[in-house]
Amino acid sequence: MQNPLCKPWEHTLSRRQLLGSALAGSAALGASTIGPHSLLSPAIADEVKKKHKQVLFVWIDGGMSQLESWDPKPNTLFGGPFRAIPTSVPGIHISELMPKTAKQMHHLAVIRSVCTKDNSHSAGVARIQRGDPKNRGVTYPFFGSAVAKLLGAGDSGLPPYVWIKPGSSGFIHTDAGFLGPKYGCIAFGDGKPPENLPLNAEITPEIDEERNELRKLANAKYAEGRRKQVGDAQGYVYDVARTLMKRQDLFDTSKFDPKDIERYGTHEFGRHMLQGRKMLEAGVTFVKVNSYGWDTHGDNFNGHLSLMPRFDQAFAAMIEDLAERGMLEHTLVITMSEFGRTPRINGHIGRDHWPEAWSVAMAGTGLNRGICVGKTNDVGTYVDGDEHDIGHLFHTWYSALGIDSKKTEYDNMGQPLPLAHDEMHAVKELLS
Amino acid sequence: MPVLVCCRSLAIGLVICCSAIVAAQDSLHQRIDAAIEAAAGGELAAPADDSEFVRRIYLDLAGRIPTRDEAAAFIDDKDEGKRTKLIDKLLASDDHVRRLEQVLHVMLTERLGDHEEWRKWLRESVKSNKHWDVFVRELLNPDADNEATRGSALFLSKRLESYGQNPVDVPALVRDVGRLLLGVDVQCAQCHDHLFIDEYKQEHYHGMFAYISQVGLRTDVKYPAVVEKPLLKKVEFMSVFVKEPKTVGPKLPGLEEVSLPTFEKGQEWEVAPDPKTKKPGKVKFSALKNLSEQLPVPTNSLFKKNIANRLWWLMMGRGQVHPLDLMHSANPASHPALLELLADELAGHEFDMRWLLRELALTKTYQRSTLANFETDKVPLHSYRVALEKPLSSEQLLQSMLQATGMASTVTEAKPLTELQAKFDKAFALPAREPEVEHAPSVRAALFLLNDPSVIGWLKPQGDNLAARLDKLTDGNAFADELYLSILTRQPSAEEKKAVADYLTKHADNRPEAIRTLAWSLLASNEFGINH
Repeated sequence: MQNPLCKPWEHTLSRRQLLGSALAGSAALGASTIGPHSLLSPAIADEVKKKHKQVLFVWIDGGMSQLESWDPKPNTLFGGPFRAIPTSVPGIHISELMPKTAKQMHHLAVIRSVCTKDNSHSAGVARIQRGDPKNRGVTYPFFGSAVAKLLGAGDSGLPPYVWIKPGSSGFIHTDAGFLGPKYGCIAFGDGKPPENLPLNAEITPEIDEERNELRKLANAKYAEGRRKQVGDAQGYVYDVARTLMKRQDLFDTSKFDPKDIERYGTHEFGRHMLQGRKMLEAGVTFVKVNSYGWDTHGDNFNGHLSLMPRFDQAFAAMIEDLAERGMLEHTLVITMSEFGRTPRINGHIGRDHWPEAWSVAMAGTGLNRGICVGKTNDVGTYVDGDEHDIGHLFHTWYSALGIDSKKTEYDNMGQPLPLAHDEMHAVKELLS
Repeated sequence: MPVLVCCRSLAIGLVICCSAIVAAQDSLHQRIDAAIEAAAGGELAAPADDSEFVRRIYLDLAGRIPTRDEAAAFIDDKDEGKRTKLIDKLLASDDHVRRLEQVLHVMLTERLGDHEEWRKWLRESVKSNKHWDVFVRELLNPDADNEATRGSALFLSKRLESYGQNPVDVPALVRDVGRLLLGVDVQCAQCHDHLFIDEYKQEHYHGMFAYISQVGLRTDVKYPAVVEKPLLKKVEFMSVFVKEPKTVGPKLPGLEEVSLPTFEKGQEWEVAPDPKTKKPGKVKFSALKNLSEQLPVPTNSLFKKNIANRLWWLMMGRGQVHPLDLMHSANPASHPALLELLADELAGHEFDMRWLLRELALTKTYQRSTLANFETDKVPLHSYRVALEKPLSSEQLLQSMLQATGMASTVTEAKPLTELQAKFDKAFALPAREPEVEHAPSVRAALFLLNDPSVIGWLKPQGDNLAARLDKLTDGNAFADELYLSILTRQPSAEEKKAVADYLTKHADNRPEAIRTLAWSLLASNEFGINH
């Protein structure tokens, strides 16, 4: 039973056209020779190209171990107890803790040569998500706020930057840095709707329309001759609130397909990823999904043994669904932590923080598929070859989204600011 | 609209223009205006009209909008000195006590928590116009034996509680003492000299840490209280960049280090702690007492600049130094000499905050309009050429909404008020630890006004509330006047009158609902939710 929501792409192309060609083309996929629109006939490919670009950002908070995931080193000094397994791309092996993801490898682009600066959580999370550009005395936006600003909200009427996370809900305006509160993040704690979402019982939809027309009229008069920023931001949150009121179905898990719930997993991360897919289908520009609890300073292997299967299940289901729906054509998927974990296994059989050499996995628009870029040395301690900092990744992601991060600049009240670290550049091997 | 009376200082009957040399005997508000105008670099907005002014000054000094009668009385008053009279009246009002209590509470606790003894101490301090230096002395060295003032300990005690499995975050307490009382954020100088701010040294952090390192939370009593252990040696620290061990005793940025007395073992206590009764002891050398004597003094430039800057922010909508807790040479004040002047004058008036609030309220700078007939978006915020809009705090919103809907006399009991305030805080306030100095409009707040039953319920006719009063007014003009004066503190324009009349005609079959809809749309408007 498909859910009754209409998909954003159904307005422009039929689902069957997409699925038909996608299924036909997905049988035997090679490695990196696949172009971005190879699954689609030229006419439809043009349609897809015009699609509003979207981002799914899967944040693994605390630090996923690269050695137990994307860059296993079995039978080496620091390799730990888990094996490496083959994937759907010949020659690429990942940890045996990711059997389902291994089957989706032909959609993925993994980089194993990430080398960043910060090994503390508190500074690291913000530093990574803000792209760690050169300090110019301003607070840079999180990637989500930046994408919300650069790509806009599309025509979904939904907020451009949504975060599905465990814990509390809220509007996190600080994510936006100098872009201003409008580009903050709307967080749905445990995927639950915010409070006061249903229309007040005493107010009919007609009266609701009227009272808001009157409110806007009053605001228009107030705005004449005054600064725009304050009034605009206040007006904007009403627009978002009212759109959410109309889209309560996004939160109604009773309408979700039971088969989907089964595939993604009934655990928290699975539920949140499925909700993330719903948000992407509804047209939200940037969807962030969080998984917490990866800081395995002690008992790293049992920790990953329990954490990885949940990640593997939901992430693989997501990639499979986005690919099947043709959404990878216009959606960039990124999954990462604030750093990797030390090859050295400490006295508590744990792994500590390691920004020196770790991995990030990606998929979707603008990227090559079924490839691995960069490598670490035989024992996984350091990068072997070119190191890539978060600045390089930011340039790569902007390029993949069709934004020239070398030419485009922010205008911060007259102060021109680069989108990403100005001495870094996109990782060409990742880009299609 | 009433003709605007330009308010001048009563002491001097001439307008001072930018180029005039300001005599030292001029009062502070004139010197403020001279400094702002001299640096303006462009056209100034006109003075705020009576409606704008009366709403603004009530919100800032009384924490609520004026009632329609208070507003009408002020607008109709023909006295040239009426603005000064109103400022003085409000500063002496009970509303002002509540307002300043709320401001200090939010500023000092950053919504980490609350306690009735803390509130009592705040309220009594504001009521007796306790000067800021005395206030801070009690804040930093709370006296658990003095029932009247012991609530002041909450500032320290709330930050010494542990949350879940986390250890007590003493560095955060040190940081907050610096941020809130000195305007410097030494957090990044914990492990090394600050990377971007040359004058924030690692020694600053650890010197402040030394004062506070021995303070702990008292759990043997029900009120906020802290206990101090003897400070026997200097704090040792080492930069992560330069592996060279250093030590520092209690020391404030820019001031002398306190030399630690030495005691024979066992002689450190004036009253030794009693392990049987769990009664904490009293130390002979109290670092906190030293801190409370050395920090809030007129010679401490950071101390006086910080409070001057925060009171300026409160009235003008932006700090002279902004953000408020980043005072350093690379982030100078917008008008450095003016901030020095404010700080020195305040110290010269023995840190009488009410005196400075009055002087700020008297300035033309404060009394300028937020409206201008030139392009306002390009005008730098820190030029004060156009007055700045300020978001209403959740406390101001609750009081103002009760006032506007005519429910203030109905909801007077402490308990429902507290519950309502908690509800409003949840919808409008920022989360704990986030300083409320900027606009942060939220979807949560919009949804609260759109759908929560409390505000919508106040718009039903009951007793003598706004909806009931409006229901009785059959004359269209009188209706619109009542509606706009009660909610927006101004007369409606001809256009607005017509819109109101049209809407009422269209919904003649359900007049109470039409009234509710009209009133709600003004309550939810930016003109209501922003102090302009």
